[in-house]
Amino acid sequence: MVEKENKSIDQATNEMIEKAASDGCSVVFDRAESMKPCPIGSVGSCCQNCSMGPCRVPLTKGKEETPEAKKKRRGVCGATAETIAARYFARMVASGTAAHSDHARKVTETFLAVARGEAPGYQIKDEQKLLQLALDLGVEISERSNEEIAIDIGEIAMKEFGRQEGEILFLKRAPLKRQELWRKQGVTPRGIDREVVEIMHRTHMGVDQEYKSLLKQAVRTSLADGWGGSMIATELQDVMFGTPAPVLGRINLGILREDEVNLIIHGHEPQLAEMLAVVAQDPQIVEYAISKGAKGINLAGMCCTANEILMRHGIPLAGNFLQQELAIVTGVLDAIVVDVQCIMQGLADVAQCYHTKVITTDSRARIEGAMHIEFDEHNAAEIARDIIRTAIDNFPNRSGSIRVPKQETDLIAGFSHETINYLMGGLFRASYRPLNDNIINGRIRGVAGVVGCNNARVTHDSAHVAMVKELIKNDVLVLQTGCSAMACAKAGLMVPEAAAEYAGEGLASVCEAIGIPPVLHLGSCVDNARILVAATMMVKDGGLGDDVSDLPVAGAAPEWMSEKAISIGQYFVGSGIFTVFGVNWPTLGSKGVTDFLFKDFEEMYGGMWAFEADPIKAAQLMIEHIDKKRKALGIDKARDRILYDMEARRELDAA
Amino acid sequence: MEYKIVERSAPGREKVEVLGETYEEGKPDSEDLGRWRQKLTSREEKLKYLQTGERYLYGKDWYGSEKRKNPA
Ligand code: SF4
Repeated sequence: MVEKENKSIDQATNEMIEKAASDGCSVVFDRAESMKPCPIGSVGSCCQNCSMGPCRVPLTKGKEETPEAKKKRRGVCGATAETIAARYFARMVASGTAAHSDHARKVTETFLAVARGEAPGYQIKDEQKLLQLALDLGVEISERSNEEIAIDIGEIAMKEFGRQEGEILFLKRAPLKRQELWRKQGVTPRGIDREVVEIMHRTHMGVDQEYKSLLKQAVRTSLADGWGGSMIATELQDVMFGTPAPVLGRINLGILREDEVNLIIHGHEPQLAEMLAVVAQDPQIVEYAISKGAKGINLAGMCCTANEILMRHGIPLAGNFLQQELAIVTGVLDAIVVDVQCIMQGLADVAQCYHTKVITTDSRARIEGAMHIEFDEHNAAEIARDIIRTAIDNFPNRSGSIRVPKQETDLIAGFSHETINYLMGGLFRASYRPLNDNIINGRIRGVAGVVGCNNARVTHDSAHVAMVKELIKNDVLVLQTGCSAMACAKAGLMVPEAAAEYAGEGLASVCEAIGIPPVLHLGSCVDNARILVAATMMVKDGGLGDDVSDLPVAGAAPEWMSEKAISIGQYFVGSGIFTVFGVNWPTLGSKGVTDFLFKDFEEMYGGMWAFEADPIKAAQLMIEHIDKKRKALGIDKARDRILYDMEARRELDAA
Repeated sequence: MEYKIVERSAPGREKVEVLGETYEEGKPDSEDLGRWRQKLTSREEKLKYLQTGERYLYGKDWYGSEKRKNPA
C-alpha cells in the first residue's frame, strides 16, 4: 500500500486537515491539489499588461534555446521574454514594497494621533526608542515632552512616503561604504511612494523595455521598503508598543481552549491587536464571557500580527500562514479578526462549515461574506470591546464537531537589535563584540536570516525546519521572522535547550554562554529591517570588513509565496546579502534576467539571488557563501586563542 | 540605576568602601524575564545608554570601524 503523503511536518496541521476532510470542508491544501500552478506564468513568461495580450512566451522544454527560437519569443508589441520576466519581477517588488509601506503609513497615522493625544488608550511606551529616533532624524530633544518630540518624528516619517527628491532618511544608518555603493549604482531611493509609482509606470505597456534598467529600479524600490517603509513601521511600533525583549510564549493550534472564548487576530498591523490584548483582560469583559458559560477569554495570534503581540505581551501563537483555516476547523474558534495581508479569502468559506465569525476591520481589506467592524485608532478601546463581545456572543453557538490538537510548543521571542546588543554586554558594555569575536575565532561560522512565508506547493514547514537545522548544525546562528520563525518555533528550535540538541559545538557553546537559543525570533516581516540593522552593527563593530557584503552572512526564504517576500529578498540582495529562495523562481522563463539577478548582481551590489528548491542544498549554498566570505576576510583558518598559563609563559620567555 | 557602595577588606589595610556590583543578583523570572529597558528610568540615563550602548550610531567619542577611517 502506498503511504499517504503528509501535507505538513506538523502533526496538529495534519490532524486538522483530516478533520476538515471528514467534516466535508475544503481547505487550502485541497485547493492546491486541484489547482496546479500555471507553468508559463510561474516563471514570468506571461504578460497581461495590455489588452492585446495576455501574451505567453514559454521556453521550449528540455532543449537549449536557439537564437532563432529566442527571437520568436515575443509578445504582440514585440516585448522580449527578458522584458516580460523583468516587468513581472519588478511589479512583485513594487507590490511588496507597497504592502509594507502602506502598513507603515497607517502606523505613522496612529503614531501621530497618539502624539497629539487623539488616540485614547495608546501611549508612548518606549521613551528610549523615541529618543533614538529623535537623534536619527535630527529632532530637538532638550526639555521637550515626549509628545512634542513624537509629533516632529511622526511628521518627518510621514514625509518619507511622499518625498520626491534626495534620499530617504534611514539610509544613513547603513554602513558608509554601502551608502556610497548605492549612490554609485544610482539606486538610492528618493521617496517610498515615488519608487513604487515609478515601477508601475515603467512596467506599463511600452515604457521601460530594457531588463537591466527595470531591475535597477526594482533594487531602488526594494531599498525604499527595507530601509524605508519596513524600518519606519518597526521603529514607530517599538515606540508605541515597546521594543521587544525576550519573552516566553507558546505556539501551535494546541493553544486553543475548549472551555474558553477563543479569538484569533490575524494579519500584520499591530494597532488593533495591542488594544485587544488590553481589553481582553478587562474584568468586566471577562465577566461577560463567564456569563455565557466560558471559563475566560483566550486571545491568540496568527501570522505577523501574532508575532507582534507575542513579542510584546507573550500572547500565544495559534500558527502560521497555512494554519489559518485550520484554526477554524478545530470548531472552537469563536472569531477570527483580520487586519491586512496574507488573509485567505478561503477563511469565509471554511467559516461556513463551522460557527466561526470572520471579522474584517480595515477598509483596505474587505472579504465577501465576512462581518466588518471598522477599526479606528481614535476609538480603539471601544471597537476592541465590540469585537470581543461579538466573539463572546458566538461562544454558545458552537456545534458538535470539535477537536483541538494537543500540540503546543514553548518558544522565546523578542530578539530586537537593541536586545541582542544588550544581551552581549549588559547595560554598561552593550556590544556586538562577542558576536564578531566568536565569528572571527570560528565558534560561530556565520549568520543567516531565514524568513518568509508558507507555501501550499511545499510540505508545510518542512523546508524552513530542514534548512535551519542544517545551518545551526554547521555553526551558523539563525535570525528569523514571520511564518518561518513560527515553523522553527513549532519544531522546538527557539528555546535555549535547542542549542545543545541541534547546534554544532561552537555555536552551542556561545548560545550556552549567553543563554540564547541558536535560532533567534526577531519578529514579523516588517521586522526584517531589524536584520539589516543587526548586520550593520556587525560591520560597525569591526573586524568583519567594511560593508554588509563583506560579512559571512546569507539570507533565505525557503517557502516563500508573497510578493512581499520578493521585495524583502531584493532589499537583502541590494544591501549586499546573498539570498536563496525555494519553491520556484519567477524569472526562470528568461535566462538573461535570471543570470543578471543570480550572477551580475554580485559584481554590482556584493549580494545576489539564488534559487534552490531543496532546503538542504540551499543551506549548503549559504554555508559555501559564508565560507567564501570568511576566506576573503582571512578568518577561514581562525582558531581559538590559546590562553597561556604562567608555566607556558616562562617556557616562551626561555625560548 | 542606583550604585551600591560596599565595604571590602583589603590585605594589609583597613576596610575600604568600593563600588559594589552593577549587575542584579539572581536570575530574572516571571514578569521580569527578559525585561531590561525598564532598568533605565530617567531621560538622561536613556540618552547616556544610547551614547554608550549604541555608540557607533550615537556616541561622540566612540568610533566604530568605519568612523575611524572616515569621520562622519
Ligand atoms: S504589453 Fe506587449 S507583451 Fe504584454 S500583453 Fe501587451 S502586447 Fe502582450
